[in-house]
Amino acid sequence: MKFTINRELLLKPLQQVAGVVERRQTLPVLSNVLIEVTDQQLSVTGTDLELELVARLPLEGEVQSGETTVPARKLLDICKSLPAEADIRLEVDGERMVVRSGRSRFTLSTLPASEFPNLEEEVGGAQLEVAPDQLRRLIDSTAFSMAQQDVRYYLNGLLLELRKGRLRAVATDGHRLAMSDAEVTGISDDAQVIVPRKGVMELARLLGDSTQPVKLTVGKNHVRVIAGDVTFTSKLVDGKFPEYERVIPREGQRRVMADRETLRQALGRVAILSNEKYRGVRIQLSDASLRVQANNPEQEEAEEEVSVDYQGSELEIGFNVSYLLDVLNTLHSTEVQIQLGDSNSSAVIVDPNVTATLYVVMPMRL
Amino acid sequence: MRDAAAQRKIIHVDCDCFYAAVETRDDPRLRGRPVAVGGDPNRRGVIATCNYEARRFGVHSAMASSQALRLCPELVILPPQFDKYRRVSASIQQIFRRYTAHIEPLSLDEAFLDVSDSPHCDNSATRIAEAIRAAVRSEIGITVSAGVAPNKFLAKIASDWRKPDGLFVIRPEQVAEFVRALPVKRLHGVGRVTAGKLEALGVKTCADLQAISRLALSQSFGSFGERLYHLARGEDERSVQSSRRRKSVSVEETYSQDLPTLRHWQDQLPDLLERLRRRMAQLDTGYLVQGLTAKIRYTDFSQATCDGPGEKLEDAAFAELLEALWQRRSEPARLVGIGVRLRDMTAPQQPDLFEEERRQALARQRESL
Repeated sequence: MKFTINRELLLKPLQQVAGVVERRQTLPVLSNVLIEVTDQQLSVTGTDLELELVARLPLEGEVQSGETTVPARKLLDICKSLPAEADIRLEVDGERMVVRSGRSRFTLSTLPASEFPNLEEEVGGAQLEVAPDQLRRLIDSTAFSMAQQDVRYYLNGLLLELRKGRLRAVATDGHRLAMSDAEVTGISDDAQVIVPRKGVMELARLLGDSTQPVKLTVGKNHVRVIAGDVTFTSKLVDGKFPEYERVIPREGQRRVMADRETLRQALGRVAILSNEKYRGVRIQLSDASLRVQANNPEQEEAEEEVSVDYQGSELEIGFNVSYLLDVLNTLHSTEVQIQLGDSNSSAVIVDPNVTATLYVVMPMRL
Repeated sequence: MRDAAAQRKIIHVDCDCFYAAVETRDDPRLRGRPVAVGGDPNRRGVIATCNYEARRFGVHSAMASSQALRLCPELVILPPQFDKYRRVSASIQQIFRRYTAHIEPLSLDEAFLDVSDSPHCDNSATRIAEAIRAAVRSEIGITVSAGVAPNKFLAKIASDWRKPDGLFVIRPEQVAEFVRALPVKRLHGVGRVTAGKLEALGVKTCADLQAISRLALSQSFGSFGERLYHLARGEDERSVQSSRRRKSVSVEETYSQDLPTLRHWQDQLPDLLERLRRRMAQLDTGYLVQGLTAKIRYTDFSQATCDGPGEKLEDAAFAELLEALWQRRSEPARLVGIGVRLRDMTAPQQPDLFEEERRQALARQRESL
């Protein structure tokens, strides 16, 4: 195997793929990237057995085909530290790979490509084309609510639901829930799958660079996203996502309209003196006013009052302030609408002009 | 040692039959009737709190609800509503905070306040205590008793002195006389066993206790002897601090002869359970048992533990845990321990949108272990 490539061209796929490769591996070959050269095409693959990223790009000039694996992090660090626009020549020499550029020379250890595990070749199932920013928006507006290492393993990921004309993402850690819809066309079949947490994060990173429509394939055990030159494949979480619609309150008797930024800043300040472990704040709602109060075990206290659009009976309700701030940081609207029931019912937070996304936050008993 | 100028002023505030008082406040029909808050008598529940009307029939906390009903058939037993008690407790603490920031809550219904430096009421602890009692009565609608003293130990005894709805003050110059007459049984940490030992030494009051040398006390009671020496003189240097809550309680015993079989392990359970129950009785009511634990130390000093579900302190449940440990490793033990995991009901509670799923997942996880 031998080829020469411009540093910038090689750096991009290496960076995309290296994110998947875990630093500590039980299986040595998993710290490596698979490099395959065929017919003037280079493909770079990284995997952690759950998740696989393949980046492909055309090669020019003198090319000898072949395949091998080399340490991902080291190759990436070498490419990063070479000067911009440098030409890099990679060549396999026995059990080593030699990397040359200008007056630099590196010899890397290799492991045979045959040892490199590959995930599903074919991911059959429901298919869909979607604009990258649409998919990115779905992930950005929901992923922060995914659980982390919950015993309910099916919550440690993002639910993707394909229904006639609609792609929906739902994430919940049990304390709050985020749901967002995108209108799409050409859904071949209905499907409901859970993409594991790490896959969701990597996918969001990948979509940031993409402008072309991405192809989404949802199989029985895998999900595949083809975005330009990169193919993302992730195993799915094998589990049943809970009936999330039943925890979304439909009728909140109390509707509060508030300036998002004002509320966000007030909550941010009060949060400083909330209990570091529980992060509880008390909210008192009365005509045109929302008061927030927090105190900590040191008996320090913070209080804020925010003018809001609200008429109705008074209400006192507690929340984990981090959950409220996460929502207010994710929304971009000038105003937010908060629907509340009583002090034990969850709050629904939305951008009043956008019905496609909603947030449910469970109150906390302080 | 503290000098007189640094004399502290501690208030112990204790709500009178708190849970029952809150329930009676919220439902006037209960007024004048015997009321208790506790578990279902048909499901082996116990009484958490009862009002004075119920106490007249001999009902007391920690008594089985079924027995309480036998003593007092018209007793109203209400299921506890911890959310509500937590809210009321928070409002009461707001009142405390008007006078001092040095508050150590012991549970939902009890707290120590250090008002040594309080600028309120001309720095009179007695007047602050009265003001707090009046504010709780008018703003919260329940009564509290308070004790004022130069330290925590005496303040706690004082709050009990004029209960219910009372205030008792032990001034620094009264301490010596007060403690001399105080029965040793009222000292914190002196239970049946210690009281029995002391009585065998001819000690009934703190005056008697003062006659025993520091060395003799240490020899008879170990490290607690030192504490007894100070308590007998009305001395307690512990400061008021926001308290750390417990996550578990456990007891264990190292046996002089190794226990060779599961049967021998399980034979120790009645004694251990009795001790665990005593330890649990010393806890305040702001806890719920949320699981059981067992521990074995083998003759090679390695140890193993086993966790299980359960809310009741019953032989059978612990016997099962020991059996699980025996199945993992069937070897003689030199130590057996049992305990409970606690849920702190005074801490904020975050309910879950999918509580049922969570319970099932936890149960499955336990099974697979």
